[in-house]
Amino acid sequence: MNPELPPGLALQKVDERIMTLNVGPQHPGSGHMRIIVQIDGDFIVACDPDPGYVHRGEEKMAEYRNYITNIPHLERPVIHDSCNVLYPYVLGVEEILGIEVPERAKYIRVIASELNRCIYTMYWLAIYGIFLGHSTMFMWPAGDRELLIDLMEKMTGARVTHAHFVPGGVRNDLPPNFEDVCLRQVNYFEKRIKEYAAIFYDNPILIARTKDTGILSRQDAIRLGTTGSVLRASGVDYDLRKKEPYDVYEELDVHTNVMKEGDSYARSKVPWLDMLESCAIIRQALQKMPKSGSVRVKLKPNPKGKGLDSVYKRVESGRGSLGCYIVSDAKPEPYRVKMSVGSFRNLIALPYLLKGEKLGNMPSVYWSLNYWPVEADR
Amino acid sequence: MNTATGIIKALNSGIKHLAIKRFTLRYPEEKLKFVGDGYQFDPSTGVGIAGYKGRHMLFHDHCTGCQLCSIACEGVAEAIAMVKVPEEHKQNKKAIMPQIDYGKCVFCGLCVDACPFYALYMTNDYELSSFSKEGLIYTPAQLQVKPYVSQDSSIQITDRGATHG
Repeated sequence: MNPELPPGLALQKVDERIMTLNVGPQHPGSGHMRIIVQIDGDFIVACDPDPGYVHRGEEKMAEYRNYITNIPHLERPVIHDSCNVLYPYVLGVEEILGIEVPERAKYIRVIASELNRCIYTMYWLAIYGIFLGHSTMFMWPAGDRELLIDLMEKMTGARVTHAHFVPGGVRNDLPPNFEDVCLRQVNYFEKRIKEYAAIFYDNPILIARTKDTGILSRQDAIRLGTTGSVLRASGVDYDLRKKEPYDVYEELDVHTNVMKEGDSYARSKVPWLDMLESCAIIRQALQKMPKSGSVRVKLKPNPKGKGLDSVYKRVESGRGSLGCYIVSDAKPEPYRVKMSVGSFRNLIALPYLLKGEKLGNMPSVYWSLNYWPVEADR
Repeated sequence: MNTATGIIKALNSGIKHLAIKRFTLRYPEEKLKFVGDGYQFDPSTGVGIAGYKGRHMLFHDHCTGCQLCSIACEGVAEAIAMVKVPEEHKQNKKAIMPQIDYGKCVFCGLCVDACPFYALYMTNDYELSSFSKEGLIYTPAQLQVKPYVSQDSSIQITDRGATHG
């Protein structure tokens, strides 16, 4: 053993039988992170996830930019889910500045965030498929995502990183004829994702690989503080869209999908069921949305906070509860922005889930946690 | 469901797709259709007009050289620099106009929101690649040119599936 190497990098010899293995950060199966696993033969004895490779200092950067110019960089952690990442920040700034948002803007936000949730989940599903060796499940979601990306592009003008939500509403109104196009493409998208059941979720090969691997019990899920689809797959009916409705979610009929098993299969199926639910929410929102009206409150060029004030807002993102804590003082820049992200909270379950599993089951357990490394590192 | 029928159903679900038309867009030959002429902003109402956020377009007869776009970009990408222009405009005493570095621009469109004189819009042009970093810097004269963007296909949904056509 080389004593000059830092402790995390040195090969650790624990036992004659046990070997330490670094999965990542270069390994494609790990994302931008390292998982240090100790294996005894084919079985994982201990596991230590090591995030932090893609830390960008988003929170510190937010202290040097004003409330509006914070928007483009705060949505970078998850570019596929950029509306949901920005949502709690925008809700918080609205409370600090005391802005009332027009009704039509609230509905547009709900539609945009549900479309974004589906776009993110499809990307995650594509990765989950390819790491289980199911390359059709990589191609299909990657292709069908295009239906929704096309809608987001019509709506916001960008395919990813939309920068669409601003304190006081949304940047622009919907383009003409958007409602019809949206309804048509979302209906077709729903029909398409229902076909995934036969090829993926009811596929005996997938079931054999994911059923009864990495079981997270209901008590453990609550005790570890997991959130989102991981929590719902363990039998806890918890969804912020229903428990703490923000914007217009209380006027919409939101149904949560709960599975009791808590294994990899349940954790991979709950996001898929959520996508079907998102399609229903989009249809409801399109129906209930006011047909005309303002979408944005006109703000002063450089809005300032009123005084020392703090606010914590959270929304249900594609990866679970996503909170944003903003401290403001009487300056155009926030004093402090802190994000509490679902990915980081779900990652804590990984060492418990992998203990005693076979090394070959690691991808199915790891990716089922709905983990996005860039979001966890912020 | 037993294993054999499950596998046959999964295979069958894939085989059905052999008869369906290709969904992929053949990019350089056919290009996506966008709504409108690009993202624009109306400062009187404070609301934008939906459109694609591509390369900017600068109207020299409207620009006053107020630098608000450059100030907006300071906190985002620092892509906009104000440069001297040779021609004289009576609304632009300082004769400075924005020059945009597309190596830095993130296409958020906040500069368009900042412009109070209807001088800066975005267009549908997204093919900005260049062999050098200097080629990505667009001078006010280059930004004045309205780009030609061919738009020929959008998503079509039929009973037999979706295609780009």
